[in-house]
Amino acid sequence: MDFWQRISQLDRRWIYLAVALAVIFPLLVPMKMKLGITPEARQLYETIEALPDSSVVMLTFDYYPSTVAETRPMSIGALHQMFRKNLKVITMTTIPLGGPSIADRTMREMAELYHKIYGVDYVNLGYKANYTAVLLGMGSSIESIYPSDQYGTPLAKLPLMQTVKNYDQISFIFIVADNGIVDNWISIVNAQFSKPMGAGVTAVMAPKFYSYVQAKQMTGLLGGMKGAAEYEMLVNKPAMALIGMDSQSLAHLLIIGFVIAGNVAFFVTRKKKESKG
Amino acid sequence: MEILGLWLAGFFTLSLFSFLYKDNPFYGLAEHVFAGLSAGYEVGLVYHSVILQQLVDPISQHWVNAAAGDHPGFHIMKIGFLLFAGALGMLMFTRFFPKASWISRYPLAFVMGNTAGIYLMSELHGRLIPQIAGTFVNLLNPLNLIIFFGVLTTLTYFYFSKEHTGVLGGSARVGIWFIMIAFGAHFGYTVMGRISLLIGQVQFILIDWLKLVKPG
Repeated sequence: MDFWQRISQLDRRWIYLAVALAVIFPLLVPMKMKLGITPEARQLYETIEALPDSSVVMLTFDYYPSTVAETRPMSIGALHQMFRKNLKVITMTTIPLGGPSIADRTMREMAELYHKIYGVDYVNLGYKANYTAVLLGMGSSIESIYPSDQYGTPLAKLPLMQTVKNYDQISFIFIVADNGIVDNWISIVNAQFSKPMGAGVTAVMAPKFYSYVQAKQMTGLLGGMKGAAEYEMLVNKPAMALIGMDSQSLAHLLIIGFVIAGNVAFFVTRKKKESKG
Repeated sequence: MEILGLWLAGFFTLSLFSFLYKDNPFYGLAEHVFAGLSAGYEVGLVYHSVILQQLVDPISQHWVNAAAGDHPGFHIMKIGFLLFAGALGMLMFTRFFPKASWISRYPLAFVMGNTAGIYLMSELHGRLIPQIAGTFVNLLNPLNLIIFFGVLTTLTYFYFSKEHTGVLGGSARVGIWFIMIAFGAHFGYTVMGRISLLIGQVQFILIDWLKLVKPG
């Protein structure tokens, strides 16, 4: 059996091992590869920067724990910017499994870092089922959809929510999601309530949402771990996404190598079979 | 407690990764624990956030207000709406009884009609029209020209009422190229997404759990 035949019949577990090493090595020995910032990420950052101090913004945690490597750094980056600018933050989630706990943990950690007071500087609305009704209903009254917050406190008792009744008092919506809920935010909230918004989404979803930016339905977009790393650079808070990008780049080079080797092996072995037979 | 949680998460992560070598009891255990926990958690969450917060609590509140004489007609009407919605939801359970399962079509019909009504308008005004408007671009810009011809030729590929020959056929073939490039972009991003998930778990193992690497 020659080299190319061996390649075409390589046990897939060797590929798993190679990918694992490509991911682990840069975490142990950082390579600090260069990373550019896309116009879509910069637009999102600059839109939030342009908001007047004390504006009310909404940040959603519409993602499952399985995608936190891509999405949570986006939420953290956004909160660094929002709290640093003294924006008032309202958070919510449409994801039942993990969404509420991720939102709770992230908000607590970030609020502690910036000495923000719950109820005054930020509010966590938590989870509510049936996102279509939730998105539509908050247009007329947030309190009718969320009579109480994540911790059971009636909204009427939270100072921030006494001034925020519906989308009219919210200046910007930052959606961080790993599913098609972004479509609903666009088609319901942006279209019907003319609310400016931007999104951070997983890499799998990102290509679809560039068309919303092009059509000016969204002001900016973060795509996957790369988008999260860009936002960490923009807010000048390098963290987990930037650390992961070396692994990302090395793994991609490896996969490109595998794709080329696999194709060459396929054509060479096919040619040999044809010449033999 | 936090340390126990970390070690459990680490154990289950490695158990799931072990499937890459071959199927084994550790993988089976992790898979079953995940399925059971997810189902139990969701039942509890839905009971709390839907049954209690959206049905029982509002009914109680309206009842208290009506009893206190604060616009009783309004509150009784609200209770009526909530009970009607609750009863519709309960009808879904008739699916468990073959002879009465046809009744479950009524709440389903209500949901379908409601959803169709909401989405008809939101899809039209929120997606179709703005996306078409997004193709009305300055054609002197080469990038805009790509958008314009990309949309036009891709749409002709999906026009099936005439045989794809002549100009239509040529346009459809160009459309296929645009579709293939889009698939390539999706594939590239999908690879990035999947590798990101792996990176996230490796970061968890090395940084959070074993503390072999310091972040930053």
